[in-house]
Amino acid sequence: MSTITGEQTTTTTVEASEEVKAIHRKMRRRQQLGRAGTYVVGILLSLWILLPILFIASMALTTRETVRAYPKGILPFIPFSMDTLNFFLNSQGIIPGLINSLIVAAITLVLSTAIAAPAGYAISRYFFRGRDAYRLSILAVRAFPIVILAIPLAVVFINVGIYDSPYSLALMHTALALPTTVLVIGSVFASIPYELEEAAMVFGCTPWQAFRRVILPLVLPGIAAAAIFTFVLSWNEVFAASVLTVRERTLPAQVLNALGSSSQAYQFAGGFFMLVPALVFIFFIRRYLFNMWGQVTK
Amino acid sequence: MFQALGLAVWDDDRLLALLQEPQRDSESSGRLPQGAQVAILDRQGNELSPEDTGEANLLTERWFLVSGEDETGAAVEGWTSESRIRVRQEADDGSPLGGTVRPRLGADADEFTNLYAEANASSEVVARLLERTEVSIAQTVTLEVWYQVQGQMADGEEVSGWTPSRFIQVFSDETSGRIDRGNTGQFTLDYIRTMVNDRFFMPALRTTLLLMVIIIPIQFVLSVIMALVIQARLRGNSLFLYIFAIPLGISDLAVGIVWFSIFTQNGFLNSILQNLGLIDAPITYLSAQTRHWILIAIVLAEVWRATSIVMVIVVSGLQAISQEVLEAAELFGATLWQRIRHVILPLLKPSLQVALILRTILALQVFAVVIALSGGDVVTVLANETYRQYNEFRNANVAAAYAALILLLSMISAAVYLRLIRTQEEVVA
Repeated sequence: MSTITGEQTTTTTVEASEEVKAIHRKMRRRQQLGRAGTYVVGILLSLWILLPILFIASMALTTRETVRAYPKGILPFIPFSMDTLNFFLNSQGIIPGLINSLIVAAITLVLSTAIAAPAGYAISRYFFRGRDAYRLSILAVRAFPIVILAIPLAVVFINVGIYDSPYSLALMHTALALPTTVLVIGSVFASIPYELEEAAMVFGCTPWQAFRRVILPLVLPGIAAAAIFTFVLSWNEVFAASVLTVRERTLPAQVLNALGSSSQAYQFAGGFFMLVPALVFIFFIRRYLFNMWGQVTK
Repeated sequence: MFQALGLAVWDDDRLLALLQEPQRDSESSGRLPQGAQVAILDRQGNELSPEDTGEANLLTERWFLVSGEDETGAAVEGWTSESRIRVRQEADDGSPLGGTVRPRLGADADEFTNLYAEANASSEVVARLLERTEVSIAQTVTLEVWYQVQGQMADGEEVSGWTPSRFIQVFSDETSGRIDRGNTGQFTLDYIRTMVNDRFFMPALRTTLLLMVIIIPIQFVLSVIMALVIQARLRGNSLFLYIFAIPLGISDLAVGIVWFSIFTQNGFLNSILQNLGLIDAPITYLSAQTRHWILIAIVLAEVWRATSIVMVIVVSGLQAISQEVLEAAELFGATLWQRIRHVILPLLKPSLQVALILRTILALQVFAVVIALSGGDVVTVLANETYRQYNEFRNANVAAAYAALILLLSMISAAVYLRLIRTQEEVVA
């Protein structure tokens, strides 16, 4: 503590008593222990998540004999080989299944983003009657079990004549993905204050120009993240794909179908192959995941 | 929800709609129940689409496009039934090329045979041919026989109308038959009854509820711990975030396969135990005799996969808790456990509500993990039964009944959570 008296400055320091110093030390140590403990817990949890992925990867990137061998070696990836993965990719129906999965996921991405973006914008910007009810109903639809959607839809598709086609499956996946996408894009728009648009319009932009030049660059990352998540959702979807496709199966439906009668090499390679896109995509969109469950309006 | 139940019990096999005219888009004149005895009044051929040819009870008749000379000597062409033509020349592959018009038997039988504009006895008559006229056959077409039947409806009223032969079981005398199956539905509880009596129903229901009760508390605790680790914002937080969020993007089938590779007989769990010297021979975990191990494997797989979803919700809820409150608590000497219990958890209630509801509803749909770990027979859950009924037994109605049950359970649990957590808040307030 320093006091200024006239032109002379005297600094007086208060020496903490021994007791207070001891408490400070204890608090600091507790803090450090707390941090170390958190690190330990974090690392343990990370291992819990990463080890199974490591296991399956080492099974998929090795020879088929190693897959059958017992006991498996402690060190993974010995021997390293593309044998199992090749075997899987060349198996019956895998490449077509891959193509179908890509088609379905791509169509779902485009459709759901195109439909959800305006909805998200409206929900975040405009106060219309029934807005709260609309938001609640979107949440309710998201919680809707996919099984209750898939079975009657299969019957309808058969009657209409669009059963067993990647395009109709894409419709179903879009319906699945829409609630999440609308809410994510809504929260992305909500995080950008309307004042920016107003400012742009004050400076002479039309509303559309204000949107295009000011808002769009800011929301594009969020919308891209939502689109990627929709892609992953469609890529991973198993139940509806198995019910709604017979000959034009997507990859998960194909693997599920062959699960009972296939060798372990096939299964492990299949599991690994379906897993890899997740590793890549989640890396890119991890920051945006938290918007998906939060409030739409600030 | 009533609609969903309606879908579940829509009976596809009960009533047959009779039509006023022998045409597909004609109006209905009445409905007859399955099994009703009918008298056959008339018959007529109607077009048949190729994919219907395999149907049971389908009676067909062939019609020929014939050309010949009528009694004035003019060349005429038209359709007539195969029963009116006696085929005398055939091509190498058996298709008819030519023949003569059959005479009708009986004293006052009509000696002329009609030729029609289309292969349909109710279309316009374009010509009439004398019996025994020579004709050449240009085309053949197969038609489905339609019957005009008369029978009694459920309330005793007599009704008559046309129907395709595939829905009628014709007795040998061709003047009487029985409705074999229908084409319109009626409300019935039969499929729910079938579902409840299905031998997989109780095991599936029990296993599903058991899994829910075990998995959700574990995930609740684990996700809060994960969220707190993220929230602590240590160095390398970004890496933790990425790793914790990875399972979000993994399909449940892939997760099932991953954990299968661990628990299978020559899998990793046994390998590690063997390499550590703890066991001598591989233990079988995933067999019919070790149901509890299969359940443990399913619990582990589901916890591994779906905790991320709950964690993400909890983290966004944690971010909403202001730091000042936590600091104040720490200042007043609260230990970590006390801070969690009295400050963080109550403030997390809305997020936990959302997370629990979502997770419960998703838990009811666990499907591919169970199939990957147990083949769907030893251990089964409701979603698996839905799939089995649809795919193996080809019974969309019972599958829909299972789906409706899942919906019912989802809504009940959502309502329970909303009530439970809200009531506590009101009590505190």
